[in-house]
Amino acid sequence: MKLKKVLSAAVCSALVLSAASCGGSTASTTTAAATTAAANNNDTAATEAAATEAAATEAPAADDTTSGEKLTLTVLTCRTDRVQDGSLDAITDAFEAANNCEVKYQGYTDYVSDVSTMMNTTDYGDVLMIPDTVKLTDLANFFEPLGSYDEYKDKYNWADAKMYDGTVYGIAHRGNVSGGICYNKKVWADAGVTKLPTTPEEFIEDLKLIRDNTDAIPYYTNFAAADWTLVQWAALVLSASGDPAYENNILVNKEDIFVEGGAYYNVYKLMYDVFSDPTLIEEDPATTDWEGCKAAINNGKIGTMVMGSWAVSQFAEAGPNPDDIGYMPAPFSINGKQYAQSAPDYCYGINKNRSDAIKELGKKYITWYIEESGDAQAEGSICTLKGSEMPEYLDAFKDCELFVAEPAPDGLVGVWDTINNDSQVGTWAGDAANFKIRIAEAAIAGEPFSSVEAIFADNNQRWAATRDANAELEAYLAG
Amino acid sequence: MAAPTKAKKRDFFDWLHGYTGQKYTTTILFLLIPIILMILFTVIPAVNMGIFSFQERDQFGASVKWVGLDNYKTLFSDSSYFETFINSIYYFAGSFVQQAVALLVACILCTKIKFANVFKGVIFFPYMMNGVAVSLIFRRFFQKGDGITNTEGTLNSILMLFGADPVKWLSNTDIVNWCLVFASVWRYIGFDIIMYIGAIQSISPDIYEAADLDGANSWQRFRYIIFPSIRPIIALQLILAIKGSISVFEIPYIITGGRFGTSTFVIRTIDTAFTYQHVGLASAMAVVLLAIILVVTGIQKAIFREDK
Repeated sequence: MKLKKVLSAAVCSALVLSAASCGGSTASTTTAAATTAAANNNDTAATEAAATEAAATEAPAADDTTSGEKLTLTVLTCRTDRVQDGSLDAITDAFEAANNCEVKYQGYTDYVSDVSTMMNTTDYGDVLMIPDTVKLTDLANFFEPLGSYDEYKDKYNWADAKMYDGTVYGIAHRGNVSGGICYNKKVWADAGVTKLPTTPEEFIEDLKLIRDNTDAIPYYTNFAAADWTLVQWAALVLSASGDPAYENNILVNKEDIFVEGGAYYNVYKLMYDVFSDPTLIEEDPATTDWEGCKAAINNGKIGTMVMGSWAVSQFAEAGPNPDDIGYMPAPFSINGKQYAQSAPDYCYGINKNRSDAIKELGKKYITWYIEESGDAQAEGSICTLKGSEMPEYLDAFKDCELFVAEPAPDGLVGVWDTINNDSQVGTWAGDAANFKIRIAEAAIAGEPFSSVEAIFADNNQRWAATRDANAELEAYLAG
Repeated sequence: MAAPTKAKKRDFFDWLHGYTGQKYTTTILFLLIPIILMILFTVIPAVNMGIFSFQERDQFGASVKWVGLDNYKTLFSDSSYFETFINSIYYFAGSFVQQAVALLVACILCTKIKFANVFKGVIFFPYMMNGVAVSLIFRRFFQKGDGITNTEGTLNSILMLFGADPVKWLSNTDIVNWCLVFASVWRYIGFDIIMYIGAIQSISPDIYEAADLDGANSWQRFRYIIFPSIRPIIALQLILAIKGSISVFEIPYIITGGRFGTSTFVIRTIDTAFTYQHVGLASAMAVVLLAIILVVTGIQKAIFREDK
């Protein structure tokens, strides 16, 4: 008897389920049913998806500024700190009011890896910072085209940052000089340095002055977090070369990547020279502390760190002496002139799987953020809109020649990245087998590791082998 | 026509109600959930990994290319991938010390000492802790302070109490791997001890009694009673130690990030997949690791068959 009950219950539930699914399929065209269905579902992701779907069906019919239905725009950002303190929400109020919409920020601490994983589905926000793991050639698979390069190139800086085949897929939300060195002005002045270094030799001489004349650690390696802190050195390379097309030229001329006198060689040789003098760096590079070093450079206990300019504000806020933190250009000169590359931060792109209404709103949001929000200036970075004022802390760069890296010519787009990854040279990587880490290990621990020259040679060889096997480069050079 | 069908049906339900029927239904129902979970989270990903290892693909799977055995060729033609296995030797050597200490402690805990259960609990506790937490503890434990951004770690503080100079544990290539092995031993020894205690307690007390009557001392009791009885467990532990030492991951990854010559094969695999976007090649590395572990398991099975 029991079994019969169970069976009948099963049949009943099957009937109910099939009825529900029929109802679902007919009702899904109307917004109300979709929303109720979603409301019954506790899963927030599903609710969001249904909401967007609902918006998708409604938007073409109704004008989204007059209808009562508010669009919700989800923006993925790496600035978890600004999501938490609400400052992003605060500046967005004006945009929300003007466009009758709601902007929701979702912050990710480990932005690139989290969002890269999310991008295996179609659900990766509406507007998002494009992770650099997406190859330029793959942009069209994930992001909505925003317009042609010609439309943007005179109006915005770095319009080519996320461009493929003349189409722009992402616009930098702000930019900065890339490649520079954070230093404590007071420490450097106390050490007796009157003029900022313009060559690697002067840089090391100045560090020695700091060692001799102050109590501060001349240079702090941050080696415990080497997977990203040493990567900061990579940003010095283009500035050190002074050549906007430096990497393209290495490809086209089939040069080795580390050539004595070349920018890659010079930058990492400087790193080796600094790291290999134990009196110039901290006691034990294996147990450095990134959070602790911020306060230490602010208090004048650390003299110098190679960091992107984004770090300046963090160092300034970490203690009582914000005015002591300075930023100097890479200590390399070409014919007596110093160069500095400027470069975009993350670029905002729009999820191509979204409805037209959301895409339209996303474009409005990006334009508003760049042209009207004034957020880039407030954050002390260079605004994407051309002709905006330079922030104050870049004083030391006023004698430098600022330049923007030249994009790869047609036919070479993405080739550098491919060779860089396939050869596992990884100019922007910081894994344990990477040349930056190996050079630092050779400098700090010495003997058991191969010499710096051997590391250069090994990477040159791997680079050359991969480059010579690259069909795209061959095709480009042939025609 | 209706009657036979009905009869047949009743037969089926009768069977279902009977002992065999109930046995089958319960077995199937109980197995269903774990099997579904296993297929969903183990079999499908593993099969996918096998397929990926014949492809050239990045993290997103956007432009997938079939490359046949190319990934395996790359792997076996570049010795740098296998050099990381050298570091496994440290962990393997450490595991011998670990077994010896575990056996000693287990023997002591099996004698009539006070608070034996408290000791068992305390010793087993590290094994229950998350590997990441253990790594973070030891990162702090081995820290060398510079007095500016951080202070001396636990070990150096204790050394300094006795007037010794602080040591750079984690950037000295001669000792860094041993420090990591120590952390690993500390974490896993509790599990070994519990295994040995279980094995020792399963020995019949009659044998001890007989040995006492014959006037055996503690060493003789260990040498001629305990050791032969728990030999299979010792063999099992050694095989597990080999498996563990070739797939070491979280302790070096978190404490040193694989730097200063502490990288392991699994760390290299992760970097290949997520730093260099060679998911195909990394899958091939994972398949090779799986194959090595299967071989070791095969050897383990063979040894146990002989023991029977």
